[in-house]
Amino acid sequence: MGALFPRWTNSFSRAAGAVVLATPAAAIAGLMLYVRSPLNTGERNPVGQPVQFDHRHHTADEGIDCRYCHSTAETSPHAGLPSTATCMGCHAQLWNKSPKLEPVRAAYFSGQAIRWNRVHDLPDHVYFNHSIHLAKGVGCAVCHGRVDQMAQVQQAVSNQMAFCLECHRNPAPYLRPPEKVAEMDWQPNRDPEELGRELMQKLDVRARTSCTACHR
Amino acid sequence: MTPPPESLSARTIVPPSRSSTGHGEASPYGREYWRSLAEREGLLGAGPEFPEGAEELTSVDRRDFFRLLGASLALAGAGGLSSCTRPPATKVVPYHRVPPELTPGNALHFATAMPLGGVATGLLVTSREGRPVKVEGNPEHPDSLGAAGILEQAHLLGLYDPHRARQLKQRGSPVGKEHLLEALTMRAARLQERRGEGLYLLLEPTSSPLLQSLRERLLRRFPKARVFATSPLSEANRAEGARIAFGRPLQPRQDFRGAKVVLSLDEDFLEPRGQKLSYARHFFETREPGAGMSRLYVVEPSLTITGMSADHRLPARGSDVQRLAYALVRRLTGLGVAPALEPLSQAAKSFAATPGKAHRFIDAAGADLARAKEGAMLLAGPRQPPAVHALAAAVNYALGSARGSSPLVRYLSPPAEVETGPSALRELAADLRAGRADTLLVTAANPAYAGFADLELGRLFREVPESFYLSLYEDETAPSCSFFVPALHPLESWGDGRASDGTVSLIQPLVEPLAPGFSEAELLSALIGAPAPTYQLLREHWRAAREDFERSWEEWLREGFIQGTAAEASAPEPKLERVAEAMREAAIRPEEGGLEVAFAGDYKVHDGRFANNPWLQELPDPITKLSWDNAALLSPRTAEELGLETGELVRLSYRGRSVEAAVCLAIGHAEGTVTLPLGYGRSGAERTAKGAGFDAYLLRPSDAPWFGYGLSVERLGRRRELAITQEHWGMEQRPLALELALGELGKAEERLSKLRGAEATLHQPVDYSGEPYRWAMAVDLNRCTGCSACVVACQAENNIPVVGRDNVRKSREMHWLRVDRYFEGEPDSPRAIAQPLACVHCEAAPCEYVCPVNATVHSDEGLNEMVYNRCIGTRYCSNNCPYKVRRFNYLHYNREKSPTERLAMNPDVTVRARGVMEKCTYCVQRIERKRIEARVEGRSIRDGELRTACQQACPSQAIVFGSLNDPTSRVSELHRDGRRFDLLHELGTRPRTAYLVRVRNPNPELG
Repeated sequence: MGALFPRWTNSFSRAAGAVVLATPAAAIAGLMLYVRSPLNTGERNPVGQPVQFDHRHHTADEGIDCRYCHSTAETSPHAGLPSTATCMGCHAQLWNKSPKLEPVRAAYFSGQAIRWNRVHDLPDHVYFNHSIHLAKGVGCAVCHGRVDQMAQVQQAVSNQMAFCLECHRNPAPYLRPPEKVAEMDWQPNRDPEELGRELMQKLDVRARTSCTACHR
Repeated sequence: MTPPPESLSARTIVPPSRSSTGHGEASPYGREYWRSLAEREGLLGAGPEFPEGAEELTSVDRRDFFRLLGASLALAGAGGLSSCTRPPATKVVPYHRVPPELTPGNALHFATAMPLGGVATGLLVTSREGRPVKVEGNPEHPDSLGAAGILEQAHLLGLYDPHRARQLKQRGSPVGKEHLLEALTMRAARLQERRGEGLYLLLEPTSSPLLQSLRERLLRRFPKARVFATSPLSEANRAEGARIAFGRPLQPRQDFRGAKVVLSLDEDFLEPRGQKLSYARHFFETREPGAGMSRLYVVEPSLTITGMSADHRLPARGSDVQRLAYALVRRLTGLGVAPALEPLSQAAKSFAATPGKAHRFIDAAGADLARAKEGAMLLAGPRQPPAVHALAAAVNYALGSARGSSPLVRYLSPPAEVETGPSALRELAADLRAGRADTLLVTAANPAYAGFADLELGRLFREVPESFYLSLYEDETAPSCSFFVPALHPLESWGDGRASDGTVSLIQPLVEPLAPGFSEAELLSALIGAPAPTYQLLREHWRAAREDFERSWEEWLREGFIQGTAAEASAPEPKLERVAEAMREAAIRPEEGGLEVAFAGDYKVHDGRFANNPWLQELPDPITKLSWDNAALLSPRTAEELGLETGELVRLSYRGRSVEAAVCLAIGHAEGTVTLPLGYGRSGAERTAKGAGFDAYLLRPSDAPWFGYGLSVERLGRRRELAITQEHWGMEQRPLALELALGELGKAEERLSKLRGAEATLHQPVDYSGEPYRWAMAVDLNRCTGCSACVVACQAENNIPVVGRDNVRKSREMHWLRVDRYFEGEPDSPRAIAQPLACVHCEAAPCEYVCPVNATVHSDEGLNEMVYNRCIGTRYCSNNCPYKVRRFNYLHYNREKSPTERLAMNPDVTVRARGVMEKCTYCVQRIERKRIEARVEGRSIRDGELRTACQQACPSQAIVFGSLNDPTSRVSELHRDGRRFDLLHELGTRPRTAYLVRVRNPNPELG
């Protein structure tokens, strides 16, 4: 009578064992990869809007400063969205017959606000403050990417805590002179680390990593 | 699962241990304190942190359990997946046109005022994107001085109350606004023919110049109309006392800043509301330990906030207070210091027999008052008869505090109606009974409920052909009137009022009315025949009244009041013969049989008008620590005689009427008297208030509104489990609030120095000196009255949920800040001390060592942080916290909030979910706001610029917050103070919150 288990079953059992161990590991790794992937973070996912607003046109072509419309970025936690009245400030004169602007005119004359779709949605327990970041020389593009090149705005970074901490642990490479924060295409003219360290000194930058700096 | 009853005997969990726990002679603090009778008897040993059943679901049977199990499994599956996916897409809705003063994301503050009891208290209301979220005191306002009491702060929640009346109704069916105006106009036309005969108005007492002018205009149009004002907690006796003494009704106003000796006869002048906020501030300025420290004597039937702050307190039956006042006059003339009082002394002669203990008290207090001369103040409470008020006026004048160039007691003409007591209502009831009324307009607070039992106003109102009732709620009075008119909340309407010193304060709306409603001014103007919106009426009134109206209107609104409009105060000479006559006439009842009944206003629901406010209902009463209920309060000895214990239900019968009530043993209560707090037992449409307590108004007769004899108490043999928080969060009998007599302070310095600073430790302490700030708090127990304004402030600021009566009973209350109060001495006249306690932010925090997920950690500046998203709810931290200041969300308390209640949430603070631990953060949202504001401006946070919510609300400024890295900061000064001690110092936790020992200033004659 031959062996109950032929020799090949040894290799088979080893392989099967490896699969049994690898499957949960792969599943966990897969999930971990998934939560970090744009599928979950919402990165690079252009968000449609009720008005076909094109940032490329307004910033790159017309050279309008970000803070003209996002006017409370320097004074408030929220950068703010322009009120309908702000839109109509220009568009009462310019393109005032354009069918693309019909929703804006309708909103303005009816008094109903335009309901935009949110692009950057931080969790409710995160209290991000625009004003301090601008005051300490963190450019808009650092977190929002090249909005001047986006037809429809999309999230440029993951917006996960790891992204925030990268800069909060070592802010120097991400800083620029505060007067340049809104310049989309700003590039440092020398070593960014060195400039950053200088700016940290000058602006008294203290990026904190205590939990309550952002979570309250 | 039924938790054990909270009676004395049933709470025995572990046999009394009086050895090593710090209780008893071995106490390093040298004193014995107790929180409740059970603890005093040693019946409350080391037990579990939570009562039995705190962790269990309520009343779940097997079927429900499996249903929930299935649902939670399904949810866990869905939840597990959903936590890995994107949150649902949301919208951003910008303004159509941004209001010029507003920056979205930043708060705005508006000055306004809250009218209550004829006094308008100046407030600053924080508004976020158009919704008021926090009420604070207006620092410039003479009554508030920046503080806010529990009622002022909590009335914010009344604005968002989902049970508020929203519909105008005629005999129960909805009608339109035009219908009401038409009815009013038609009535007015018919009434005018008869010059107003048959028109009756029952109004809320008001100091509003606008409403007063409208009432005058109304009387011009209808000269025969009868106008009454009523308030269930009327202070008419004060003005009546002044009428006796000075010949005209006057309102006393005290300035405590020069007080040396104060004797309060049943006057709760430290109660946290209205003008008493400024009294508290000024009084505690005289309580700095040292040579000039003032002394406070209190005589009162039941322990009050003022009584807790007293150096000497005498519990006395309500009707005995008058007797003691007479004895005091005898004592003063006997000392020969006030010969002018001789006629009064003669009048007091036949009544002045006092028992031994009281005799000693009055002798000592009298001698002390006589020594203090112009620094002596005698105060009489609104429950005392007019003769006692007149007597107090005469004594103050004779001693010198109510005369001279800067008198401590002044009198001014009352800003509001004075005839607000039972006599007004009796007159109205007589006319109604006689059928003289044809039209009735009611704006007073719920008279059918809060009127007197013998008058039966509800029934009488029904018989009036046409009646209009204006109220925030469809309460007990609403069904008795033909028209129910929903009122506007003070935070959504225009108006004005006067502070207690006469300063005109303006009321401006913070928000558009959440539901259509009317103001009293609108109704009156319609009745006059010139209906107009309140805003227009208000502006027209002030345009006519003030020449500088156009110039100054905006400024008045910005400041919240009109500078320089305080009424002239004087210190007239009392007519002693008239006082003596009144004293003789005010017959003191001889000893009568039976128990005395004493009616009292409630700290939380006032006269019942705030009964539907969940913050107030849940707030533990500052004295009894009872939440969601009232109870018949009586002293432990009286209870023993009657064979009663806390929680037992009794039938109280008085003059042929009876009501069922729960009993609560009250420490420091006078013997032979039962205090019945008013304002509970509601049966109107207010759903939050329903089921809370019993209605003491059902026993209240109009001829004896405050005290009377002949109460009988009958045991029913049933119990009501009261939600009393006084034994929750026990700290194993370790005495924590310390108190010393002024004379002992020097000797105790050394002992105290062992109760602070660093203990030896194996851990390397973290050095915070390099950080920009080292946040810390100091609580001066010498200034704390235990009034609990801080608790409401914390609740409002930090989105703290209300858990309800059943959950409070299971010790699930969520208040981050609690006010413990300890007693020392005999239960019938103990010394009481209050101690606010929130997370003390230990530098070596025991909670942090045991958290398995690092959900509670230290910040760079030494804050003990709680990271909600890491918390998995093991509750180890709470278990290991020696201060018992951590709170666990057993349920999803915020989910049941109505859409309007959600508007009251502070957007700067995370709303916590079920299963998460939380605790005081030192208002970190305020720290971070100020930090960013300062850093954008390129500076540091200045000392005093940043205040926590509790600190801001505190009327007596007991709480100070700031950075210890700034040696000049106020908090650093207090941390260096010789009176400082650290709570549970021996544990080596190095708390950042320091306490300052309370100092009593006892009279050596009384020991």
